[in-house]
Amino acid sequence: MALLEVRGLTKRFDGLVANSDIDLDVPEGSLFAVIGPNGAGKTTFFNMISGFLQPTSGTIAFAGVQITNLRQDRIAAMGLVRTFQLVQLFGGMSVAENVEVGCHLATKGGIGAALVRPPWFRHQEADVRAKALELLDFVGLGVQAEQEATLLPYGQQRLLEVARALAAKPRLLLLDEPAAGLNAHETEVLADIIQRVNRQNITVILIEHDVALVTRIAHRIAVLDFGRKITEGTPDEIKRHPEVIAAYLGTEEAAHA
Amino acid sequence: MPNGFELLQSLINGLGVGLVYGLIAIGFCVIYNASGIVNFAQGVFVMLGGMFAHTLLTRLGLPMLAAAVISIVLVAMVGVLVQVLVINPMWQRKAPLFAIILATLAVQLLIEQIVILTLGDQPRTYPEFTLGGPLKLGPIAIGYQLFWILGCGAVMVVALQLFFNRTRVGRALRACSQNREAAALLGIPVASMLMLSFALSAALGAAAGILITPTQYTAYSVDGPFGINGFIAAIIGGFGSAPAALVGGTLLGVVQAGAIVFFGAGYKNVVALTILLIVLLFFPNGLFGGWGKRV
Amino acid sequence: MTLRAIISTKLGAYGYFAIALAVAIALLFAWVFFKGGYLLTVLQLAMIYGVFCVGLNFFMGYTGQASFGQNAFAAIGGYGSAILTVQYGWEPILALVVSMAVAGVAAVVVGYPTLRLRGHYLAMATFALGLITYDVSVQWTDLTQGYMGYSGIPPLGIGPFTVEDDKLKLVCLAVILALGVWVSSRLRHSRFGRALRAISSTELGAAALGIRVSRYKLLAFIIAALYASAAGSLFAHTVGFISPEVFGLQMVVVTFTMLYVGGIGTVLGPAIGAVIASLLPEVVRSTGRFQDIAYAAVLILMLIFVPKGLSTLASIGRRRPIKAGAEG
Ligand SMILES: Nc1ncnc2c1ncn2[C@@H]1O[C@H](COP(=O)(O)OP(=O)(O)OP(=O)(O)O)[C@@H](O)[C@H]1O
Ligand SMILES: [Mg+2]
Repeated sequence: MALLEVRGLTKRFDGLVANSDIDLDVPEGSLFAVIGPNGAGKTTFFNMISGFLQPTSGTIAFAGVQITNLRQDRIAAMGLVRTFQLVQLFGGMSVAENVEVGCHLATKGGIGAALVRPPWFRHQEADVRAKALELLDFVGLGVQAEQEATLLPYGQQRLLEVARALAAKPRLLLLDEPAAGLNAHETEVLADIIQRVNRQNITVILIEHDVALVTRIAHRIAVLDFGRKITEGTPDEIKRHPEVIAAYLGTEEAAHA
Repeated sequence: MPNGFELLQSLINGLGVGLVYGLIAIGFCVIYNASGIVNFAQGVFVMLGGMFAHTLLTRLGLPMLAAAVISIVLVAMVGVLVQVLVINPMWQRKAPLFAIILATLAVQLLIEQIVILTLGDQPRTYPEFTLGGPLKLGPIAIGYQLFWILGCGAVMVVALQLFFNRTRVGRALRACSQNREAAALLGIPVASMLMLSFALSAALGAAAGILITPTQYTAYSVDGPFGINGFIAAIIGGFGSAPAALVGGTLLGVVQAGAIVFFGAGYKNVVALTILLIVLLFFPNGLFGGWGKRV
Repeated sequence: MTLRAIISTKLGAYGYFAIALAVAIALLFAWVFFKGGYLLTVLQLAMIYGVFCVGLNFFMGYTGQASFGQNAFAAIGGYGSAILTVQYGWEPILALVVSMAVAGVAAVVVGYPTLRLRGHYLAMATFALGLITYDVSVQWTDLTQGYMGYSGIPPLGIGPFTVEDDKLKLVCLAVILALGVWVSSRLRHSRFGRALRAISSTELGAAALGIRVSRYKLLAFIIAALYASAAGSLFAHTVGFISPEVFGLQMVVVTFTMLYVGGIGTVLGPAIGAVIASLLPEVVRSTGRFQDIAYAAVLILMLIFVPKGLSTLASIGRRRPIKAGAEG
């Protein structure tokens, strides 16, 4: 049984079919990539899996449990955590505090605990702080911990979103174009981070435009175009697939030529 | 249990009030469509219309028509002042939505207090435009003012439609409401258009206030309920077209009048607000659709 | 660790500001205590409004939601206290607590459906709430005595010991406000408070991290209602008189002025704002109507020119250090 099983997933916006009858199986522990041209429906696909959009039809099962139409926070609580293409950092909070918020699911305690501050709560707060700094070091933002999050350069904001998502201890991590806005060096660092995350037995689905990056690090790749999944396979298979070359890699290479 | 005639009578009364709510609702829509702002102080214009007209009638002894026209012009000027002094500076600084709403509430309080200081806090009213009446149809009595409200309401709505569809300025205002950036690129002076929308909306509110005052009363404090009821009418109408707002207002007025028969006059606003909550919760796009997409 | 070290590492520049402020407030209290008279009442009311604002700050400051109808909950507190003590002879403290419970339940009933709304809808729905309450308090004369309101409401006290003396009243109110601020501070610097602040910035981001947005909004709304109700009760027991006007639109505008003057979203801001804004009319020596006009004008000016409140002028370096080194 795959960790994520998507069947017949379809989303219509008025006349436009953004996702059409998509099937996908993502095995536990894999590093999966979804590629496709602009407007292919990749973000829409993520939005439905993570509960931010209701599918028009189709089902989504996570770890054997139906999560179709479940609320976002319940899905996140099951271990399916996402980042956003348009970064959604918490303004007015420091970089470290952003990651501390990420620890929400991994911690407990509400109003009562906050008022009384029993020993376990104080320990937990200290752990949260330590964990935040550890994760920031992990993505290379340790130095900026005290800075206001939304003042970071764009590329670092994306890294911070990754660190924040990791704080939620995900089983499946959805990354929506994490490399957008990163320079070549930063992209290398990011690739390394993603692979290290994956080695900690966190399943990753990655949306990415950088085909070189994807074919290098992903185990399997699905290709979307006009809302349909046109193919799926290993990086080698994808690179050789004629429809992919025509629909995506072709235009990509033409653009670079 | 009220009998059928009593109910019918109060529904007819509700029609007049409802049309006035509709006019206020159109005022809300004019500003909202031009600027994306809901002016919570809309009721102030209604209150000022009635208060100014009363003052001009009783203290200066002007004839009704003159008092009405002068009041409308004065209130339109107040509307422009509010836009220029409060809304525009916040708008330019990209103030958050709720700060602008709060500012319009503060404007409402400010104007209320100034009215108390200058005109006093006592409720007042003036006679209907046409004396005599009411028209008797069996046990049902219809005050002549209702016909004034119907007539003036119809004239204003038609005039507004002509203005928006036939005149250059009206079309420019509509262009602003559809897409401000594009309108600016086309050389439409967006800032003046916003000012115009406040003037227009204030004038509409004032006219509504002048029309309704003879059937009830006016005082510094009527702005809150009128504003809210106009907003509810706008929501029922879906914040779209003027006729929809008018229908929304009429619906509200009639339902409210029916409710007064059952619960007593004191609770008419409570009933209206309950309707508001029901509409907000179950018909978030208004009964005729529209608003949801614009937000 | 020396006191100086604690101040500089824990609070930074903000620490010095806070201390300067504490000294200023202490001096103010000392002066008012010495002078007595009318200023005592002003400061008492400042403490009461402070309680209201600290609560409102949970919903508007921390959580970033708009409510223009918190006066409804203050009215529940005020009338609850008045009715229970005057009509039924309850102990003031008990009346205050029971009224708070009623306000809390009302907040759940009202908040559960309305908090699904956003933007103008939420604003209007909450504003409507305040107006409904006002209308009911005017119309339901059997319960509220209409425009006349209630007078002769007994002061707070426990058993035979009642707080009659104006200076003692002020001290009690100050202690209550301090307690309110303490609760606010504890909650802000916790998992709960972080969730609220995350929601205020982006609900999408918060939900993606497993924060149950609607529930946290409701909790913040309830907390704000509890504070508002407490403030309403305190007003009733301190002044001894309430009427519908006490909880009208003025209250909305006055409390927002305080929130903005002090700094929305900060821990101390609402309390400080309440004190400053209460003294403002005394400074310009205006009364009655002019006072409301002054508040409205100040609020509008602040909204235009200092939208984040005066605290932004003093917030340099207020970040809480979280480097491991600062702990040792
Ligand atoms: N909420 C929405 N309402 C209407 N249309 C939408 C909505 N969200 C997405 N779309 C449309 O659906 C299509 C797919 O969009 P989507 O954002 O999923 O593409 P994408 O593959 O992520 O593109 P990109 O690479 O640019 O991020 C687009 O045509 C987009 O305009
Ligand atoms: Mg996308």
